[in-house]
Amino acid sequence: MLFISTVNGHERMSTRDLLLRIKSAVEAGETDFRIEASGQHDIGGPLWNAQGRTLHFEVSNPGQRVGSMALPGTEIVVRGPAPADVGWLNSGGRITVLGDCGDTTGHCAAAGVIHVAGRAGTRTGSLMKHDPRREPPELWVLGTVSSFAFEFMGGGRAVVCGVDAGGGGGEHPAPSVPLGERPCVGMVGGVVYVRGAVPELPPGVRGLPLDDADLAWLAPGLASFLAAVERPELMKALSRWRDWRKIVPDMHGGDGDGAPGGRDGAMRRFRAHSWPEGGLFGDVLPDSGRVTDLVASGDGRLRAPVWDAEAGPCRECLACVRACPQAALRRRGATGGGAPCVFSVEPARCIGCGICVAVCPQGLWRLVPVPEGAPL
Amino acid sequence: MPPVKRAWPRAQALSANDLPWLVRHDAGRCVLCGACTAACTFGAIEAKLPPRGASAAVWEARKEKGRDGGEARRPVIVQRAEAAHACTGCGMCEKVCPAGAIRPVRNADNRWGVLSRTAEGSGGAPARRGGRGGRSVVETPSRGRTLDAVVIGRISQMTDPALDSERHTFELRSPLGRLLRPGELPLRVEGGRLALAGETPPVRWIYPVIFSDMSIGALSTRAWEALALAVAWLNEECHLPVRMSSGEGGVPTRLLESELLRYFILQIASGHFGWNRIIESLPRMKADPAAVLIKVGQGAKPGDGGLLPAAKVAPHIQAIRGVPGATLHSPANHQGLYSIEEAVQKMHLSMNAAFGFRVPVAVKCAASATSVAVYNNLLRDPYHICGGFFLDGMLGGTGAAYAVSLEHTGHPVVSVVRDCYRAAAGQGLQGRIPLWAGGGVGMNGDAAADAFKLVCLGADGVILGRLLLQLLGCVGNEHGRCNACNTGLCPVGICTQDERLVRRLDVDAGAQAIVDYMRAFDAELRKLLAPVGNSSLPVGRADALVATRRDVADRLGIAYAC
Ligand code: SF4
Ligand code: SF4
Ligand code: SF4
Ligand code: SF4
Repeated sequence: MLFISTVNGHERMSTRDLLLRIKSAVEAGETDFRIEASGQHDIGGPLWNAQGRTLHFEVSNPGQRVGSMALPGTEIVVRGPAPADVGWLNSGGRITVLGDCGDTTGHCAAAGVIHVAGRAGTRTGSLMKHDPRREPPELWVLGTVSSFAFEFMGGGRAVVCGVDAGGGGGEHPAPSVPLGERPCVGMVGGVVYVRGAVPELPPGVRGLPLDDADLAWLAPGLASFLAAVERPELMKALSRWRDWRKIVPDMHGGDGDGAPGGRDGAMRRFRAHSWPEGGLFGDVLPDSGRVTDLVASGDGRLRAPVWDAEAGPCRECLACVRACPQAALRRRGATGGGAPCVFSVEPARCIGCGICVAVCPQGLWRLVPVPEGAPL
Repeated sequence: MPPVKRAWPRAQALSANDLPWLVRHDAGRCVLCGACTAACTFGAIEAKLPPRGASAAVWEARKEKGRDGGEARRPVIVQRAEAAHACTGCGMCEKVCPAGAIRPVRNADNRWGVLSRTAEGSGGAPARRGGRGGRSVVETPSRGRTLDAVVIGRISQMTDPALDSERHTFELRSPLGRLLRPGELPLRVEGGRLALAGETPPVRWIYPVIFSDMSIGALSTRAWEALALAVAWLNEECHLPVRMSSGEGGVPTRLLESELLRYFILQIASGHFGWNRIIESLPRMKADPAAVLIKVGQGAKPGDGGLLPAAKVAPHIQAIRGVPGATLHSPANHQGLYSIEEAVQKMHLSMNAAFGFRVPVAVKCAASATSVAVYNNLLRDPYHICGGFFLDGMLGGTGAAYAVSLEHTGHPVVSVVRDCYRAAAGQGLQGRIPLWAGGGVGMNGDAAADAFKLVCLGADGVILGRLLLQLLGCVGNEHGRCNACNTGLCPVGICTQDERLVRRLDVDAGAQAIVDYMRAFDAELRKLLAPVGNSSLPVGRADALVATRRDVADRLGIAYAC
């Protein structure tokens, strides 16, 4: 175990000196560090042990970017709060802050786990990603997060428990709004679990209730998070799952192209659950919703042919029957032998085009407008 | 061979070349499927046998076989040379033809201006049509549309920061309702804290787009429902709080008694159609409407009231409006109201009382050379009763109007918006009564740019109308295509009540197209806000604009650039 105190009388060790000292110790095989920092930046990463052994850091009073670019096999515990950029670009480190965190906590984290025992600042979790070669990054916050959190999040899992950072109140009621203003703007991937009300979300992002798959991950994860931040007694209060929601981007193009679930019958589904049943006009004009083509037969015809035996003698040439593009004409009655020739039109086939009318050499067919709703 | 007997046309007979559109048919390609004649709602084409006689084919047959090839005659599709069945250029025939054998062609030599007023079927009556007016404004080659001569020319670079249109959070909200000046706010100090000491007028902060008032009746039930559905979706799924004005044709009871009513503006015009049902629903309303809009005039036909031809007054329209199946004229004026102040006073009081003094009341007028005077009066009203001034320019669309009104009356909206804004700003009263501008917004498909420019000139938001119908599938345009909205024969089921035609319209697909467009609109609006460096709407920031035409620059008071 290497203990480093960064203040010696009135002398404060510079960030550069501290980081170089840690690095050379790691290269010499040291794996356990206790660092009493005085605002030095970038403690904890990116470092690795040549034999693949885990590096442990216990840090107090760090500067910005604790655990930034931390690699797998790095474990950092900060005793007390930490300023901005905790776990920035975290690439696999396990970082626990036993206090509040500053702005942009977990910014661009692509792997690893970040535990925050208090609140986290503005733009927390923004641009988190998921490197598919690793497990999705995790960011757990016991308290609340400030405005603009999870902006442009592209992957990973974040959990905001919304517990009052002051720790007061035996019951730990779900906070009314665990996220600050305008969370999740431009979020295109990953999931944010929040305990309490979901604030207004930007386009392309929505709040949903949890399902079984969520609980299967969240429940055990919550237990180990609370153990890590030394608050196991909260487990009961925090596992009232009806208090939780998840925020996810729309799967249909969260990048702003395409519609939010608008294709593939989504408008129809929306109509099914958010629209008066039977449509706005269902009480005055019932509408089956059937959509017809521009060319329609049956009761969709605008015009229909009428055969008029009185108009003259039929030559029985059957030109109409042969010309009909819809095979809608049938000759009824006897053929030849003096019996009158009678034609019938099959409305289900006829489109009212009038070609039969055009070809009849005797002019026995007429095309007449069909009034709307006329019987066939 | 006996001579072929014919009735030759006389000099005054119509031919297809007299009509606005010619139908070109290629008999060589045609497979005689009959789709074109079946689809044409106007009955503009029919199948006919070519006349007897020595066509080229017959001539060949005679030479070869020494006999008349007449029996081999095959029908062709011909245009009917009748005014009542004039081709509108809608293009449904071309759309359905499997053989690429038919299409309408614009006819520059037509005599329609004369025939539409004299031909059989229209004899003696003024010409009517639907669609968009003001062609004289748009089609003068040397002028073109004012907004197309304006560009966003002031870009933030090194002077002040431009914004990132994707990452920056913009505040795209506009007021609908009367805003008070700080000094007018009824505030008092109570135990060291500010408290409201009286009522403030209701104000809604909404997306800077309102869907225009197109009535049930002018539109088919499906078209109206598709608009309403898109509005609900945009609000509930896209966080774009657009509002839709009902138009003067009533509102479906099911909507009145639904939570969704908060997305809708109830319009009252001179005909008051449908208000009995609105009032009946009051006890069962679950939400307040977004606003009440008093329609005084309409840009497409100022000085004229609404017009719903009998062909469109179907039984359900009769029920909703409480009228018989006749042509419905709304009076040109609100009866019993003689000034705009009186109109707003009376309506404001009645409407406010009806809705518990919780709903803004706005007024819509046709843009006019008098608009500034009206706006000034509203601004000076000490009772703060007007919650919005909607200006409708002459490029707005309509379901039915007299052609003479469409083409020759009205006022472009752009300079009126600018004048109203400057008049208010000159008194320090800008932003007190929101200005909403409509009439041709997005007529070239570019609504976000039009909206942005109008906002810079002083509008708080814009009103979209015809564009929405085009998104539903309307094929009409301001160059005379279709525009048959007044006939009841709308080929795409939008402006008709004929159930066979209404069934052509897919509500979900139409609503989806509107939603898609509005999402693109929103992204484009941000693209324009970013270079100007504004996080919120730059209302009145005319310094962001330059004009590429001297006359436009001078009239609007913006910089000229070349
Ligand atoms: S109108 Fe057309 S489809 Fe109908 S019977 Fe005649 S040829 Fe056939
Ligand atoms: S363009 Fe329209 S109106 Fe003209 S023939 Fe074709 S379908 Fe009929
Ligand atoms: S749709 Fe085309 S192929 Fe069919 S009859 Fe008409 S022109 Fe001929
Ligand atoms: S398609 Fe319908 S709504 Fe469009 S111009 Fe033609 S008749 Fe009017």
